[in-house]
Amino acid sequence: MNRSIEYLLRRLGFYTLAAWIAVTLNFLIPRLMPGDPAQIMFARFKGEMSPESIGALRETFGISDAPLWGQYFTYLKHLLRGDMGISVSNFPEPVINVIASGLLWSIFLAGSALVISFFIGTSLGALAAWRRGGFLDSVTPPLLALLGAFPYFWMAMLTLFVFGFGLGWFPLWHAYPEGTSPGFNLPFLFGALYHATLPAATMVIASLGGWMLAMRNTMVGILGSDYITYARARGLPPRQVLIRYAARNALLPNITGFGMALGFVLGGALLTEIIFSYPGQGYLLLQAVRAQDYPLMQGLFLTITLAVLGANWLVDIATLILDPRTRR
Amino acid sequence: MNIRQLFSHLLVNRKARLGLCIVGFFVLVSLAGQWFVPDPTDFVAMPHQPPSAEHWLGTTGQGQDVLAQTVAGTRTTLMVGFAAGFLVVLIGAVIGGVAGYLGGRTDDLLSLLINVFMIMPGLPLMVVLAAWLPPGPLTILAVLVLTGWAWNARVLRAQTLSLSQRDFVLAAKVSGESPLRIVSAEILPNMLSLMTSSFIGATIYAIGAQVGLEFLGLGDISKVTWGTNLYWASNDSALLLGSWWTFVPTGFCIALLGFGLTLVNFGVDEIANPRLATESLWVRKLKKHATVDGSTPVVKGGVA
Amino acid sequence: MTSYYKSKHDRKKLRSLAAILPFVIAVLAITVVSGCRKERSHVRPGVLTVAQEQQSSWVRNFHPFLPMGVARWGTSAGIYEPLMIFNRMAGEYVPWLATAYEWQGGAEALIFTIRQGVRWSDGTPFSASDVVYTFNLLHEKPALDTGGLWDYLASVELDEEDRVVLTFSRPYSPGLMSLAQLPIVPAHIWRKLDDPVTFTNPNPVATGPFTEVLSFGGQVYELGRNPYYWKDGYPKIEALRFPAFPTNEQVTLALINGELDWAGSFVPAIDRIFVARDPEHHGYWFPAVAGSVYLYPSQWVEEFRDVRVRKALSLALDRAMINRIAMYNYTLLPEPTGLSEGYAKWRHPGIKPGDGWVHHDVAAAEKLLDEAGYRRSGKSGMRTGRNGKPLAFEISVIAGWSDWVRACQVIARNLREIGIDARVKAYDFTGWFEKVQRGEFELSIGWADDGPTPYRVFRGIMATETVKPFGDTSYVNWQRFGNKEADELLARFEGTVDFQKQREIALRLQEIFVEEAPAIPIFLNPSWGQYNTRRFVGWPNAANPYVRLSPNHPPEPLMIMTRLEPAPGREGETK
Repeated sequence: MNRSIEYLLRRLGFYTLAAWIAVTLNFLIPRLMPGDPAQIMFARFKGEMSPESIGALRETFGISDAPLWGQYFTYLKHLLRGDMGISVSNFPEPVINVIASGLLWSIFLAGSALVISFFIGTSLGALAAWRRGGFLDSVTPPLLALLGAFPYFWMAMLTLFVFGFGLGWFPLWHAYPEGTSPGFNLPFLFGALYHATLPAATMVIASLGGWMLAMRNTMVGILGSDYITYARARGLPPRQVLIRYAARNALLPNITGFGMALGFVLGGALLTEIIFSYPGQGYLLLQAVRAQDYPLMQGLFLTITLAVLGANWLVDIATLILDPRTRR
Repeated sequence: MNIRQLFSHLLVNRKARLGLCIVGFFVLVSLAGQWFVPDPTDFVAMPHQPPSAEHWLGTTGQGQDVLAQTVAGTRTTLMVGFAAGFLVVLIGAVIGGVAGYLGGRTDDLLSLLINVFMIMPGLPLMVVLAAWLPPGPLTILAVLVLTGWAWNARVLRAQTLSLSQRDFVLAAKVSGESPLRIVSAEILPNMLSLMTSSFIGATIYAIGAQVGLEFLGLGDISKVTWGTNLYWASNDSALLLGSWWTFVPTGFCIALLGFGLTLVNFGVDEIANPRLATESLWVRKLKKHATVDGSTPVVKGGVA
Repeated sequence: MTSYYKSKHDRKKLRSLAAILPFVIAVLAITVVSGCRKERSHVRPGVLTVAQEQQSSWVRNFHPFLPMGVARWGTSAGIYEPLMIFNRMAGEYVPWLATAYEWQGGAEALIFTIRQGVRWSDGTPFSASDVVYTFNLLHEKPALDTGGLWDYLASVELDEEDRVVLTFSRPYSPGLMSLAQLPIVPAHIWRKLDDPVTFTNPNPVATGPFTEVLSFGGQVYELGRNPYYWKDGYPKIEALRFPAFPTNEQVTLALINGELDWAGSFVPAIDRIFVARDPEHHGYWFPAVAGSVYLYPSQWVEEFRDVRVRKALSLALDRAMINRIAMYNYTLLPEPTGLSEGYAKWRHPGIKPGDGWVHHDVAAAEKLLDEAGYRRSGKSGMRTGRNGKPLAFEISVIAGWSDWVRACQVIARNLREIGIDARVKAYDFTGWFEKVQRGEFELSIGWADDGPTPYRVFRGIMATETVKPFGDTSYVNWQRFGNKEADELLARFEGTVDFQKQREIALRLQEIFVEEAPAIPIFLNPSWGQYNTRRFVGWPNAANPYVRLSPNHPPEPLMIMTRLEPAPGREGETK
């Protein structure tokens, strides 16, 4: 058990380091790029401001001409307090409040899509490997590869147009119906599910192929190994061999992939959220880019990164529980 | 296995052959296509015209020829895609190779770097970077390389690590060969299929990400690329107007190219790991076509 | 290692999972079927749905002195009211919280007579001292003075008749619009605030028709009627409802579906997409009465210091094509003076359409360039400059601004026709804005300053006062063009409040503009506006142009909100 804790702590150390690098990158990127962000931020005030007013606003936004090191430490200090500065496009709302509204929706949408796609994909992959050369094995991978080759946003837009606009089966925007109030009540919960169906479905379809192929290929390797041959020779029911021995062992590398995918999905949901007007992080990020709201942009990138790091740590814990080898 | 051998194996593999044909077609279009179509930025006709004899794929919301735009878009998209794929593999091979071959402290440090970059969410980082840098294909290329190299570095590091423990490498080390020679003569050739498949994978990823970024308007929309074509189609509300022809051809081209590259990758995987090969229904079906077309049916899987 | 028993247990788990699955699917199916197809049923009768801002999620902020897009749109279009509203269509000031204004001693002081019987939405009487407080608040907190009012104000106080007297530090007649349209805040509330700059004002107290925040969520918020509104019987709208739409496309979809009553966005091919859906109820009106979009030739480039070259550039432009390609034919072509319909009473009677250089005449453009010494040469037939190199210029544009990019593509094509090798270069907003403000560009498309009189228009493109050295940041006059006579005229304009005198000055300024070609008008900026008469009637349009339809220019929307009425015979219908 001690070794498990040591392992988890080591991983935690790594994530802390990664987080620190992300934070530093976040600090450096705007400062290394050409141009004065302050100048741009005040562009929206259309040049009627007196130098005095600009000075007052600079102070409010915490823009200083202090040396880089000084700025860096102030930045870190503020960050530890959860202060990511003030959003320019939502002045004077702190960035952290603007972000809070989107994070949960992103996790809900991306998380459920990921889980569904993982389950369906790995099951299909296992079955395909079990029946090598069968219908599932020969037709599905190229079909999914072809589907996956379409640009994701392209498919999502067509889907929205056909099922949302053309047929009117699904809502065109937002995360829950307007009449409901967020909370633990049925209309809201069902509404939220209903609103997530179409965006989640497009994400599942786009990522299914990857899971399936990965699972199939690991399974093919495992099915050729001695202990499976032995299990079969012992006369164990085929289904049991498939599920107990082969699939379970083939799943492990895929679970590590699951952690990685969490990151891709959280960030990758950006396009989904934009097309389906889903009020998550990704959409906020694009909006911040369009509005030249650099503090918000940085804050979003940071929270997405931290969410990904956190999720990966959770996956580490899960792997530890599932795979006894890591415990040794 | 050297490049020529790999290539001839690929030609024998059915999936790979089909894939190579598709990719080759697009390369051809990107090189010579512009001589067969009018200027893609010319405003030739009324906007939103459906396909006709004059404009085979209709016109855009601004009255430009869709076929010309699709053809012209191939070049930049392919160039950025392949360049990103190449650079990603190059950087991945150098960093992964150095880490795997040297081991020790260097490896620890580089592995840490690789792991950190791998865990960074790619698309948001791309969006943030693209927002700060001046728009254009070069920015997109830089962003793609910066966010994509780590994955390949990891794969190539693992491969180098395992190769450098093999007998023939150890033997070379003992016989006093220079590290440069060991890497270039002993290790690299053995990673060829892996690097090829990394290259193809990175290219597919780069094309997808590039089109996505440009669709969001983060590219240079005054250039003609597949991504900006889709940006403009969406900007002109092509779907609401029912002008599917401004939206569908580019989407299909991207899909077809991606599919072609994936097929080549299947082939590479099967050559490297013959157990993965399947004599599938799907292949049999294609085989029938091939016979009808008069090409020689080749016995499948004669690679091992 | 693994016993048979355990695996049976696992299978059981699997089976129970299989049992749950149909249930999950059934629930999903029921949700899908029962989920009302159109969520419009949530809109109560008498509620007006507006889409003006594009946000993915609302942030509760009703601060009246922040720029548009930062505070919610309703803040300056429904909640707070100004002393007067400048109605751009009519070109005149409409009395609002003030009933009249009066100049004193040229443009040295401005006096507002304040309306009686107005109450704040908490029931407290509104008075002239609230107005004085508001102006002085901006003086105390310069961060709030985003309009730069205290650049020319010296003091604001009450006179013995309870009128508000604004004394200027220098005669400055063009200040009227900013002063008249300042939102007025209640002194009894704002005086108690710790920091009025970072106050988000979640529950505003104001004089406008819609002051009560009925609900506020990330996806939608609603403003209810002010119980004490001063205009008897108005508003006839129960509440305003604002769903959050992130992009133009979403607004277009909502318009088509009939879910919006009022919007101000760009809709491509609007007749086919929007009007044809329900010709009886769907309407739009895009009057082009505000400023122009210009092509700026920077004085940084030697060739552009020659007026003949600037005129030739303009004569080469096919503006009808630009309008068709970039603007879906929504806008009007600019007049020779560059002034839109909104400045009708200022226009020079002696300058007729086709005069000057703001029309398409390739032959004339070629002739001017030949005269200027830039002749076509070589195999390519492109013109060569003094240094023997071909004339080649870069047109700067903002990457994401699609209509501008389109316009620039046509412009580049037009310029190549007269032998100038022009290329479009797209920059991100940041890069573009820095470049143009420093004057270090060749050609660039851009907006221009505009206001109720031509003063701001001409000051922004030809006053020496606004010319800064290349490399320094300048908010106006990016191309660095200055004209001494214009300086003097503009100074005289600031010092007079007499319309006839101002008009005479404006006429001369127009003549200078036509002579000098300091900036090249491309097209007039339309004011986007769409409406739906299914639930409300009384919208302004070409037939009834009492104010611009577009919600994008607060405080003008106040005039529409206090005029709309529920559609006859449709009251109580929700659909």
